[in-house]
Amino acid sequence: MNQSSSRPLATAIGVGLVAGSMSGLLGVGGGIIMVPLLVALVHLSQHQAHATSLAAIVPIGLVGALTFALENEIDFTVAALLALGALAGAPVGARIMSRVKERPLKIMFGVLMTGVGVQLLVA
Amino acid sequence: MDLSPWVAVGVVGFGTLTGVLSALFGVGGGLVMVPFIVLVLGGDQHLAEGTSLLVIVPTATVGVIAHARRGYVSFKHALLLATGGVGGSFLGATVALELEEGALQVVFGVFLALMGIRTIVQALRTPPKNV
Repeated sequence: MNQSSSRPLATAIGVGLVAGSMSGLLGVGGGIIMVPLLVALVHLSQHQAHATSLAAIVPIGLVGALTFALENEIDFTVAALLALGALAGAPVGARIMSRVKERPLKIMFGVLMTGVGVQLLVA
Repeated sequence: MDLSPWVAVGVVGFGTLTGVLSALFGVGGGLVMVPFIVLVLGGDQHLAEGTSLLVIVPTATVGVIAHARRGYVSFKHALLLATGGVGGSFLGATVALELEEGALQVVFGVFLALMGIRTIVQALRTPPKNV
């Protein structure tokens, strides 16, 4: 990026704002909207966008989880069982991503996005 | 929710799949976990969202560590995204009460479908040898 670097930084805050609003409004959001906007507006590579979106999801998810915990809307047994599996799965997913090239990764993510979009329209 | 031992094993297995998807695509995984908790385990929508959000935190953390080791994470951008994201979720939750949910769902659905198709078309136009 040769231009001034402050604009992409402000854009990133804006992308977060949109993603956060959407997840607050629809319960869908976070990564599925941050990734395409990070690629289109902030000009990250597909790989960087996936990894960076995931990093932003940690604090966003934490705040969300605390809100639901205050309302007693968490099943800790189910959460523990899911997390047990997910913690084993995450490094595998990261390894797969690092081995997939930019083009197929874009196509895979595009298919996921289109599928979620259609599912929202049908539901 | 009462879980038999076999169902518990199934939940761990589903969690593994969620972890793979989460790190591979840079998403939380609520997309698959919320319907799973509601439709398969019989939890209500709010309990499913809260439980899913709690699982997302350690899962995404482990995924990020693995990605960061390979140099894929831009922490500067992640910090800015999270700043906007935390503010946005409060905004969204407040506005949600005022808005007609159906209309917004259609707008967001169309947006995602179009972005998805655009991403696929762009990727297909890129010469494969360059990437």
